[in-house]
Amino acid sequence: MSIDKNNAFIDYLLKCPQMLNSPLYFNFINAKDNTNQIVTNSDDRSMSSPYVDGSVKRRYTYTIITFKSITDIPLAKAVGTDTRLPNENVEDLASFQAIIDWIAEQADKHEYPDFGENCQMDDIYTTTDAPRFDGINTDVSPSMAMYSIDIVIDYIDISKAIWKQS
Amino acid sequence: MAVNQINLKTGQRAERKLLVTIAEWMEGTSTVREILGTRTPDSSIEYNADIETSTDIRGNNYTDINRTQPQQEFDPYLILGGSKLGAFLNDLRRRNAVSEFNQFTMYIVTMFIGTTGQYEAERHTDCTIAVTSIGGDSNVNMPITVYFSNKITTGTVDKIAEDFAFSADVTV
Repeated sequence: MSIDKNNAFIDYLLKCPQMLNSPLYFNFINAKDNTNQIVTNSDDRSMSSPYVDGSVKRRYTYTIITFKSITDIPLAKAVGTDTRLPNENVEDLASFQAIIDWIAEQADKHEYPDFGENCQMDDIYTTTDAPRFDGINTDVSPSMAMYSIDIVIDYIDISKAIWKQS
Repeated sequence: MAVNQINLKTGQRAERKLLVTIAEWMEGTSTVREILGTRTPDSSIEYNADIETSTDIRGNNYTDINRTQPQQEFDPYLILGGSKLGAFLNDLRRRNAVSEFNQFTMYIVTMFIGTTGQYEAERHTDCTIAVTSIGGDSNVNMPITVYFSNKITTGTVDKIAEDFAFSADVTV
């Protein structure tokens, strides 16, 4: 039975505790504070690697975007002091970083999205070690920072392999 | 004996997966088989023909093929979970059991010739599989080279699965 890979990825991602704390959208930008978006990417066929047994290495890539309200409170009370203040911007980035860490943890455990019996999952990873800062939208109130990460899923499509090993 | 024709539409190209190399060996009293080529993007049988050409005084060339020494390299040959051949070769490698690398029977199946249930094949007995190296970068790669014996029995196989049946037709 063919499995919809997007649904499989959504089910997988919802196991991440950090994702459960925020509304999650799919290919829909809702630029409100603390919302997450899954955005699909189309990967070029040239990224596929055929093997002599008829199986093909394929790739799925998603971008996760999050919107976080920002603060203009400085990190230190005054110039020349080393007293740190709690800072929402730093904390927001750390919370989004947790998704990257969770993906790495799952990869170490070989826990992958279930793409079905015709797909042997090879790897899942983020393309960066830290979230990408995509800018600040000052047209909304409060202003929103946008962060994103790219998640890559490599798998072997064995649907046309000449031999499926028992 | 008549030559069987290619079972593809006119002009249709044969997919690479229709040329299948299978290794067979004994473990205890059990016959074990494995298709080669999983996660290998490119592999060809090189015949290494020893060719001798002479020219007579009229300028005509006469070319003889004295022998062939076919071999096929699989690089990468990744260590994969579930690979019985990988485990077997690794055991030979770690024991440096050089005299045990030549116990393989190899099948070359040309699925583009024949019909369903009767694909043309050739069986080479007493073949050698040499482990070229082991290592790599992200994943453990143990490239191998198959040396075919040319002790050939032609025939057919009924299917591409570990329990295929080989039916011999002519020994050459």
